[in-house]
Amino acid sequence: MEAQKVDMFIMSNGKYFESYQINGIRERLIALDDSKWAMISTVQLKDPTISLIVSILAGSLGIDRFLIGDIGLGIGKLITCGGLGIWAIIDWFLIMGATREKNMQKIQQLLY
Amino acid sequence: MARNKLYLLLFTACTAGYFWLFFTYYRVVTLAREPGVCLIKRVTGIPCPSCGSTRSVLSVLNGDLAGALYWNPLGFIIVIVLLVSPFWILYDVLSHRNTLFNFYNQTELFLKRKWIAIPAILLVLLNWIWNIYKGL
Repeated sequence: MEAQKVDMFIMSNGKYFESYQINGIRERLIALDDSKWAMISTVQLKDPTISLIVSILAGSLGIDRFLIGDIGLGIGKLITCGGLGIWAIIDWFLIMGATREKNMQKIQQLLY
Repeated sequence: MARNKLYLLLFTACTAGYFWLFFTYYRVVTLAREPGVCLIKRVTGIPCPSCGSTRSVLSVLNGDLAGALYWNPLGFIIVIVLLVSPFWILYDVLSHRNTLFNFYNQTELFLKRKWIAIPAILLVLLNWIWNIYKGL
């Protein structure tokens, strides 16, 4: 793919990934065939800031984990009052990273 | 999520759950105080959907199933998870298998279906309304 296209993608979607992953994604995208561009550019990624807001407001109910697709962990949080409140607070700090990991998994399915 | 991470998390959660149960049992029996650390209840005064599940689990341990159902039906799920998962993890770790991990992934896929997810969310909401009505 053209470097210009890839850089545009990285610029608009960089915040959805961990910083150390961005270089790998860029190289992979440049090596990728042009026919995949439509799928890559329209993939739905979750915003880490949104999940942080949800985590602060409704973390004790596990809604943040449900939102990023961790259904099992969401149920775990829901039926334990957010892990007696401790897990809910820990997740305020983990949820942004977890969201970025989920985004990486999603885009990896298209890249490889 | 990776297999080992899930097992570690589940095992830690179970251990913490057992400690919490012993601690609460001691408090209820010897100090005659009601349990309660729920963040939502402390902040807003309104019980959350899983408030009362400690009392529910303690009722099951005392053989009082009707009481457990009254305090919180979610307590039954917690009892099953607490009883089954340590043995299942032990079996998987000792025999180098992924049976629990596969089961977890299958359950997640199952619960993501719309006709399962929507009734489940409604049930949890109903349980919440019941909790507020009971004034736990």
